[in-house]
Amino acid sequence: MTTSVLRDPTAETAALKRQRLNPPADLDDKVVGLMDIGKMRGDEFIDRLEELFNERNIETRRYKKPTNTRTAPAELIQQIVQESDVVVIALSDCGSCTSCSTHDLNDLDHLGIPGISILTEEFKEAFAGQCEKIGFDGASIFTPHPMQNKTTKELHEFADNIIDELLTKITHTN
Amino acid sequence: MNGNHVNGELLLFLKQDCETCQLVKPVVGELVNKGVPIQVYVQDDPNYYRDLSPLDDTSLKASFNWNIETTPTLIQTSGNGHSVRIEGWDKSGWQKLFGRKSLGSTLPDFRPGCGSKSREPGVYENLVANYGDSGIEAREITLGKWEDEMETCYERGWTDGLPVTPPTDARIWKMLQGTSRNPNEIIGKVPPNLAPITVEKAAINAVMAGCKPEYFPVVLTVLEAALDPIFTMHGLLCTTCFSSPIIVVNGPIAKSIGMNWGMNALGQGNRANATIGRALQLIIRNVGGGIPGDLDRSTLGGPGKFTFCFAEDETDPTWESLSVSRGFAEGENAVTLFQGDGIQGFIDQRSQTPEQITKSLASSLLAVGNPKLAEFTNALLVLSPEHYEIYKKEGWGRSKITEALHQEMARPGSELIQGANGIGEGIDPLRVDEMVNKFWPEGLLIVRAGGQAGLFSAICAGWTGGRFRHESQPVTKKIMV
Repeated sequence: MTTSVLRDPTAETAALKRQRLNPPADLDDKVVGLMDIGKMRGDEFIDRLEELFNERNIETRRYKKPTNTRTAPAELIQQIVQESDVVVIALSDCGSCTSCSTHDLNDLDHLGIPGISILTEEFKEAFAGQCEKIGFDGASIFTPHPMQNKTTKELHEFADNIIDELLTKITHTN
Repeated sequence: MNGNHVNGELLLFLKQDCETCQLVKPVVGELVNKGVPIQVYVQDDPNYYRDLSPLDDTSLKASFNWNIETTPTLIQTSGNGHSVRIEGWDKSGWQKLFGRKSLGSTLPDFRPGCGSKSREPGVYENLVANYGDSGIEAREITLGKWEDEMETCYERGWTDGLPVTPPTDARIWKMLQGTSRNPNEIIGKVPPNLAPITVEKAAINAVMAGCKPEYFPVVLTVLEAALDPIFTMHGLLCTTCFSSPIIVVNGPIAKSIGMNWGMNALGQGNRANATIGRALQLIIRNVGGGIPGDLDRSTLGGPGKFTFCFAEDETDPTWESLSVSRGFAEGENAVTLFQGDGIQGFIDQRSQTPEQITKSLASSLLAVGNPKLAEFTNALLVLSPEHYEIYKKEGWGRSKITEALHQEMARPGSELIQGANGIGEGIDPLRVDEMVNKFWPEGLLIVRAGGQAGLFSAICAGWTGGRFRHESQPVTKKIMV
């Protein structure tokens, strides 16, 4: 494979990146899909996120990718589309999982499910780079890196620390 | 041409797959052995000419930079830009250039060369893209190493739902060779965003649609016709109706570029028909921003919104073509754009006289839009060869057929006014005592097309915007090749 350069067929009045779907104004009667990309310890972080959503009377549904090293199977994407209104994808802390989960975020957005990806701070640039390449203005939140050597309590604290930002980003346009 | 070379240098471009190159090989060997400094470039197999210490030009970069069209080509460089160039084998020319009267004396006087590999189909445009200046100014989209070009086009929202040809520089440059127009020339503003479109942007979208360069003059004329204010492309795009541009191509260019006016002319399977119409739709989408569900508000849409383009059958001299009927000269290339819907099939396998088939066609044409609407839309009738034959054998041509159809479609206003026959739809009740025509005199366009067998014609209903008789009309434009 070689790097290709295509030329923009549009009027070039818009940014190169496709804007993500507008999230809903609020989460009343909405289902938040919590998609575990399958990295070790990620489930502990998501457990706490689930608690935090449920404490706020927000319905959640859990999903798990078979492996973080590939994009989600079409069946899983379709299941999320059928069952959830918004998706939270977590927790990417490596190159391949960042790339694959960004594609998942993009694929779900194409199918009408706005979402957000949670990654560790080390992969801020990787996420931005992948968004750049696929032309998608994906939403993200970052937690400290590394996360795999943290205690469960610390991972729960990561979740506690981002919940307000998360709620804001999945219920507001900006 | 190439700044790295000094005055008087000798360059020779060869390829193994060239009999003339092989013929001159011993001659060049003799010169090299005598210390004549010739730099040999080989386009395909440098090993074959290894005794000549050649440079590998399998990339064809040097051949491109020196604009080589033939092998062998011998060049004596010159600082003033007037280098000596001998293509093929020319004994006296070589003898004169090297000042050796006996050079190649056993060889024939002349041998033409072969085409340079840099000029083979599909090669030159890639060399322009890689080593030259394509002049393309559109924003670059750089893909990742493992990104799929086709998928990227989908991701970016550039397609109509079907795959597009990825717009690379080589393809765009080649498309631009299909016209003499300047790539920077602005053709007009494309609705709904009224974004200016250049010839280059049109070329990019024509590439994506799958057009060949020889279609491009037609695409540009189609675009000009669509952007003519009287065509009302803006309204046609944003309408809740089904309609979109239907393109009819007239003139010898239709045959030159291989368009279909025969069997399945309104259907799939012909590249020119399919891609010329699609290019316009992609331009409207990509440049104009006409995205379905966004500003394209069609309630149901229609398959014609992918593409709807065909040529008229001009093989029968008794039939006056659509463009001629609209004021263009016979033999002139032209496109006509009609704002219309998909087809309504017209079946009549029993009428035998012009009068019968006229009544039959008229009764079907009355259904356009709604049988109770009149002077509300236009219509395009695609008359098949067998139906035309019924007219032809009695000497009826376009004008007589058109006139007879209009007469046949005139009806008492009392049958058409709103509420009449228990139907709410209808014409203004004030016209109750008039005889009302279905279409304005200019509102029925007839095109002859279709396979030789089949008593089936087609009616394309016009867009409701056509009710503004003087504000929205079909447009015919001459194609500037």
